[in-house]
Amino acid sequence: MVSVGTIVWLSSELMFFAGLFAMYFTIRSVEPDLWHTSTEVLNVPFATINTIVLVVSSVWCQLGVHAAEHGKPHRGDASLLAVKNWGMREWYVLTYIFGAIFVSGQVLEYSELVHEGITLSSTAYGSVFYLTTGFHAMHVTGGLLAFLLIIGRTFTTRHYSHAQAAGAVVTSYYWHFVDVVWIALFATIYLLK
Amino acid sequence: MKIEYKLFIVLAAFFAPVGLAYGIFTDWKEPVGPAGLFLSAGLGAMIAFYLWATARRLPERPEDNPGGEIAEHEGEYGFFSPHSWWPLPLAGAAAICFLGLAVGWWLFIIGATFGVVALVGWTFEYFKGPHAV
Repeated sequence: MVSVGTIVWLSSELMFFAGLFAMYFTIRSVEPDLWHTSTEVLNVPFATINTIVLVVSSVWCQLGVHAAEHGKPHRGDASLLAVKNWGMREWYVLTYIFGAIFVSGQVLEYSELVHEGITLSSTAYGSVFYLTTGFHAMHVTGGLLAFLLIIGRTFTTRHYSHAQAAGAVVTSYYWHFVDVVWIALFATIYLLK
Repeated sequence: MKIEYKLFIVLAAFFAPVGLAYGIFTDWKEPVGPAGLFLSAGLGAMIAFYLWATARRLPERPEDNPGGEIAEHEGEYGFFSPHSWWPLPLAGAAAICFLGLAVGWWLFIIGATFGVVALVGWTFEYFKGPHAV
C-alpha cells in the first residue's frame, strides 16, 4: 500500500522534473550563444566525480533494503568492521554520508560558479542552471532527512516490523528516483554542452 | 494485477509514439513537446513497471480470479492510521516557512523549527510505545 502510493507520487515528481527539463531546453534553443559561453566555465570532471558518489550511494541504499527485507535492522553485537553483518541502519548511514558528500559538492560547485559570475539572476543560463540543479539538490536534501527519520525509527521499537521495513524500502525508491533524475540532469547540463 | 499494469502501459504506449510524431513534425526544433510527451510516457511506464514487478512476486489475488470469493480476501492488508493530528501542525509550519520566503529568513527558521517537531511527531506517531506497528 505504502509502496504503490510512493510510486504514484514519484511519477508525479517525474512530471515536475519534466517541466524543469522543458524550461531548460526551451531557453537553450532561443539563446545558443549564451550557452556556448556559459557552459565553458562548468567543471565537468568535478561534477562527474560527484555523480559517481551519488550513484554509488544508491548501491549502498539497495544493500540496506536487502538487509531490511531480511528483517535485519542493525548489525547487533558484531563489530562495525564486519561489513557482512551490517543491517539496514549501517548501510543507510553510509548512504547518508555519500548523499551528504554529493550535496556538499554541489554547494562547492555553486560557490565556484558564483565566483565566475554565474548567479541565479545574472543570465538566463544562470537561472535555469540553478533552478534545475537546485530543485534536485533540495530533493536530495529531503531524501537525507527521510533517511534520518527511517534510521531513527529503528531505535524506538525492539521489534523490527513489516511497517518499518516498508518505510525503509519506499525511502530507497525515492533515493533511486532522485539518482536517476540526476543522471538525466548531468547528461543534459554537463555532457550536451 | 494484469488489468492494472495494462492500464498504465496504455498511457506509455500512447505518449511515446505521439512524442516521436511531434518531434518529427516539428523537426526536433521545439524541445518542450518531446520532453513533456516522452516523460509522460515515463509516468505511465514507471507505474506499469512497478505493478508488473509486484504482480510477478505475488501469487494470484482473489480479485484476479473471476470465480474468486470475498472470503478469500482475509488476512492483513497493512497498517492504516485511524486518525492523526500531526498533518495539521506540519501544514501550519510549512505555511510559516513559505511566508518566511517573502517576509524574511528569520520567520523561515521559526517555521522550520515547528516543522521539525511536527515531522518527527508524525513519523514516529505509531512507531513508539507498547502498541508500535
